[in-house]
Amino acid sequence: MTWAAVVHVVVSGLATGSIYALMAISLVIVYNATRTLNFAQGEMLMVSTFVGWTVLRVLSAPLIVALLVAVAASALLGWLLERLIIRHAISATHFDVLIITLGLSLVLRSAAGIAWTHDEFPFPSFFGNRPVAVGPVRVAPVSLGIIGASLALMLALGALFRWTRLGRAMRAVAQNQRAARLMGISVERVYSASWVIASMVGAVAGVLIAPVIFLSSKMGLVAINGFTAAVLGGFGSMPGAVIGGMLLGVLENLAPLYLPASIKHSVPFLVMITILLVRPGGVLGRVARRKV
Amino acid sequence: MRQAALATGAAVVVGWPWAAPRYFVFLASLIAINAIVAIGLNLLSGYTNQLSFGHAGFLAIGAYAAAILTIRAPALPVPVSLLLAGLVTAAVGLALGIPCLRLEGLYLAMATLAFGFVVVEAILSLDWLTRGNDGLRVPAARLGPWTLATDTARYYLVMTVAALLVVAAVNISRTRTGRALLAVRESEIAAQASGIHLAAYKTLAFVVSAFYTGVAGGLFALVVGFLSPDSFDVFLSVDFVAMIIVGGLGSILGSVVGAAVITTLNDSLAGFQNYRPLIFGAILITSMVFMPGGIASALGKISGARSRPPRQGEDR
Repeated sequence: MTWAAVVHVVVSGLATGSIYALMAISLVIVYNATRTLNFAQGEMLMVSTFVGWTVLRVLSAPLIVALLVAVAASALLGWLLERLIIRHAISATHFDVLIITLGLSLVLRSAAGIAWTHDEFPFPSFFGNRPVAVGPVRVAPVSLGIIGASLALMLALGALFRWTRLGRAMRAVAQNQRAARLMGISVERVYSASWVIASMVGAVAGVLIAPVIFLSSKMGLVAINGFTAAVLGGFGSMPGAVIGGMLLGVLENLAPLYLPASIKHSVPFLVMITILLVRPGGVLGRVARRKV
Repeated sequence: MRQAALATGAAVVVGWPWAAPRYFVFLASLIAINAIVAIGLNLLSGYTNQLSFGHAGFLAIGAYAAAILTIRAPALPVPVSLLLAGLVTAAVGLALGIPCLRLEGLYLAMATLAFGFVVVEAILSLDWLTRGNDGLRVPAARLGPWTLATDTARYYLVMTVAALLVVAAVNISRTRTGRALLAVRESEIAAQASGIHLAAYKTLAFVVSAFYTGVAGGLFALVVGFLSPDSFDVFLSVDFVAMIIVGGLGSILGSVVGAAVITTLNDSLAGFQNYRPLIFGAILITSMVFMPGGIASALGKISGARSRPPRQGEDR
């Protein structure tokens, strides 16, 4: 194993890691606003990517149009689901909302299977797949493209949370909902916005990853890796989500080099169990003490 | 009234193999097996508020343990191998339950979900023992001089075990232990303040739940006769959660009703594989939005189904 090969593996790990990071960010955005985990986040990504693919196939539109349509469809789906279903259960326990989003994920996956079958479809990429040589190291442009596009999106989200009025409102609700409401923030609007933004991030992640893992009704399972990434970085923290995603992606790609190859599929779960049991606060986060 | 209902129920259960076609005898066995799992899961989730998405993993451990025992030690009587399957699974439940004490809510849900995946991966990689993806054929088990070779024989075995476990669960729920578990669900802090050893009872719930599921796994191995890792995927865990949600959290009768509803539904939708998750998901959503107490509380307080736990001390 030369160091150039290791660099190659690390770069492709960072590429899948960026997708995990985007997924983790989606989950954390919804969690911070509504304190619930959206089990259907992965299926929403899958459905919106399928919508983009349909636009590609039916209208033979350029890829960028498909991306925009996927993002718009995803935003609409997120808004509808929050408004029509989740909002009704907002006074329910986390347990209940968890089950509801679980039900949503089953419904979405099954509906996608009915609409588009459960087959795997190739998906065009913005970036080429043929490795290029950078000095002695060979990397795939698609890896670099995914990393670059994800980082750009993360920076944009960072700016949104830091400098806009909506971003400030979202951070306020995440800190203390009651105080935010007293300051005149419409908490309901923040719920809507969180679902919409999280869905849009998911759609971008879907269009970026579909060329690599193929488009299929199963691709929503990537959300589990997103959750692992978020926990790894400290659930609730945005920088933690990014670091956790990258770390998980690299671990997943490096582990088969040193351990039996069959370990690759278990890596996210082993990482999740280990981190939850050893350090539930994640690498960055701290365990929140519950006040009586 | 209550005794009459119980007697009628018992008569139906005993007479079923003579009245129903063979396939429905098999289906009734499956319902009883799932009811055992649902009771086990309910003791954990409904009683101590620890949600598990990994019970398919426990079922797999029990099933493979019983199957391997039956293959390697054919002379072992069925009750012993079932008991051993339950104990092995309970040991795994203990090993998982202790570290899981640190987790609650969705963290626990995700850790148990991951546990379910790891069990399937473990079955695949231990193929010298489990025959991996090829699957494991389970020979007919022996009970003293008899071989349990027919659906009817296996039906009576399943029903006997299920009846014993239901009675045990009802009794557990009425004892000091059962009240302690319910107190933990209502408020961990208040329970602790009343002198309930929180860690001990939460671990106990994990162990008992795993034991129930392990025994059910053993029965599953005998009744179905063929085990392969893909019968224990995460969707099976979701089915179990659906059973206790639909039936009613914290109700033993609800667990049985939920198991019957979901198993029958699963079976009648077998021809419509594409629509099955769609209908399932819709059931989960509607029962959570409109009927959070499940069937048991919707029909009135038929078996002491209690209202849902309050939100725990948090500023929301």
